[in-house]
Amino acid sequence: MSQGAAAGEAWQRVSPRYVWVDLITVLIPGVIVTGGLTIAPAVSRIAWLWLLPAAAFVVVVLLLAFTPRRVRAIGYRLREDDLVFRRGIMWHRVVAVPYGRMQLVDVNRGPIARAFGLAELKFVTAAVTTGVVIPGLPEAEAEALRDRLVALAESRRAAL
Amino acid sequence: MTSPLPERVPHDHQASPPPVVDGEWHRLYPATPFLRGGIVVIAILGYLIVQFRDVFIGLFIGSVAGREPHEDTLTRWLLEHSALAVLIVFGILVVIVGFGWLSWRMHTYRVTDELIEEREGVVWRRHRRGRLDRVQGVDIVRPVFPRLFGAARLEISMAGSDGSIRLSYVSSAHADRLRADILAAASQRRRAEDEEEAREQDAVPGPLHPRDSRGTASRLQGAIVARANEFLAPELREPVEAGSLVTMHPGRLVGATGLRFGAMMLVVLAGAIVAGIYRPGLLFVIVPILIGVYGFAAREVLRSLQYSIASTPDGIRVGYGLLSTTNETLPPGRVHAIELSQPLFWRPFGWWRVRVNRASASIRDGGAAQANTTMLPVGTIEETLRVVGLILPDWSEPSDFTTSPERARWVRWFSWRRNGFAFDDRAVVIRRGRFWRTLTVVPLARVQSVGIEDGPLARALRLARVDVHTVVGVVRAHVGALDAEDAVGMWRDVESRTLGAMT
Repeated sequence: MSQGAAAGEAWQRVSPRYVWVDLITVLIPGVIVTGGLTIAPAVSRIAWLWLLPAAAFVVVVLLLAFTPRRVRAIGYRLREDDLVFRRGIMWHRVVAVPYGRMQLVDVNRGPIARAFGLAELKFVTAAVTTGVVIPGLPEAEAEALRDRLVALAESRRAAL
Repeated sequence: MTSPLPERVPHDHQASPPPVVDGEWHRLYPATPFLRGGIVVIAILGYLIVQFRDVFIGLFIGSVAGREPHEDTLTRWLLEHSALAVLIVFGILVVIVGFGWLSWRMHTYRVTDELIEEREGVVWRRHRRGRLDRVQGVDIVRPVFPRLFGAARLEISMAGSDGSIRLSYVSSAHADRLRADILAAASQRRRAEDEEEAREQDAVPGPLHPRDSRGTASRLQGAIVARANEFLAPELREPVEAGSLVTMHPGRLVGATGLRFGAMMLVVLAGAIVAGIYRPGLLFVIVPILIGVYGFAAREVLRSLQYSIASTPDGIRVGYGLLSTTNETLPPGRVHAIELSQPLFWRPFGWWRVRVNRASASIRDGGAAQANTTMLPVGTIEETLRVVGLILPDWSEPSDFTTSPERARWVRWFSWRRNGFAFDDRAVVIRRGRFWRTLTVVPLARVQSVGIEDGPLARALRLARVDVHTVVGVVRAHVGALDAEDAVGMWRDVESRTLGAMT
């Protein structure tokens, strides 16, 4: 269905480097959780408890395996009057935000993303449910995009 | 009570109180520190009186009755000591009162043509200002205790997260005028008209300015009667448009609340009875739950008594509450989403409830929070439509709903025939629920963004869900289990119509 909504011009993709950021952010908690779960069977010597870290390991591996696809699924498009954002491979989500509804545009840099020279762009409207965050933008691009969006929002400012 | 209607007795004000919106700094109601810290002062006084009752009796009656205090050293020392304690406590009281007075002196506000400003604090100064065109609503809250003194709290909620300006307390009569003025400025009306209105309101004697030339006794009596009238019927002086008023029968309110929580109340009651018979020990758990559930229901009823809603030139005015009253005004166009809902047991009576999302961040607690979202606690369909009509004039339910396809039966077992959406020229309307029916109306000009989503199960059934994002509130405007094509169509339509409504 998102393909139907997305018909037309191409989606802007996020930087391929963001795959590494996402991999690391999955890997670190994954290793901690899996490692933590091995403590119980190792100490108690109850064999079936090994299923827990095994399950965690499988989940982490699956998450890692799908990360490149998940990152490729993130896209945005600047249309004439609104921004359309999409993400997700299993659970699709496509959101359209009119420029005039944007109240703030934040540029955030997390520690891992910064190591790769990436930033994320967060859009704040009066509705918290909007929840549009574009991750994995090269820093210069993020700032340029922010300035452009702020200008667009300014020109299309509507009363709340 | 020689004059049955003291309201009608002509009072000659020596000078009409100056207009509120004059750009001058004003102080709050003089009793404010007492009302704010009132409980503490009363508690201290009460404690003192109880503690030193014997001493007082000894001082005033003891000598008369010939019961002189024993002349032993211990009593004398205690008496001296208690005198010292009294001195200390009175000293503390003086400090509290003095500080209260000082903070009252320093707490000022003013309303200009563009701004409302508040300054407060003795040691740490605080200065807040809000632009009048960002005002989302002005509420008058009258808690029981200040209400006895003819004082009210004015809460001016501002757009966005900058919260609200609270003026606690101002005199009741003053509060009405202040609200009228602020709202007039907020809805950019000409002030002249409004002051005419305000002056009319002043013709009714403000209980705080009983500056008539009559004797103190009759003045006091007049003030007491006026206060009593104000307490019992705070809305009487409000100018209302008679046609749009919904009258709320207490019986219906009780019935509706009973039906809404009926099942829960019965279950808890049955649990209490069963437990009482077989396991009395469990009553320690059940009884508090019983009190909680019934108390909640009773509070729901109590706070919705004396409900009134009216259309004023400044917006929609909703009043609530029997003991503590809340009275708020919503400037037009500040409602972001409307929800009509009907619990299962209300259906035989055709009752509906109306709740809304509004733009101001609610920082209020408990009792007042309901008034913040509930426009109509319970009403017939005509009354409900009348209330919705205040927000969207001449609105009626569209008939051409696009509903879920039959395969959505797997995820919407009972409601798939009803579950759907429709558009009219101003709003997107979402209908949900078979047993607990809701109808959500979002004015297109207020839509913030719109999302469409699906998951593995929905995709297998070629279904999708559309989420219309509005400001945070009790109303959530989403509809799931739509045919994927319909959902994409709805998503597109909401977006394009929102863009159309923005310009």
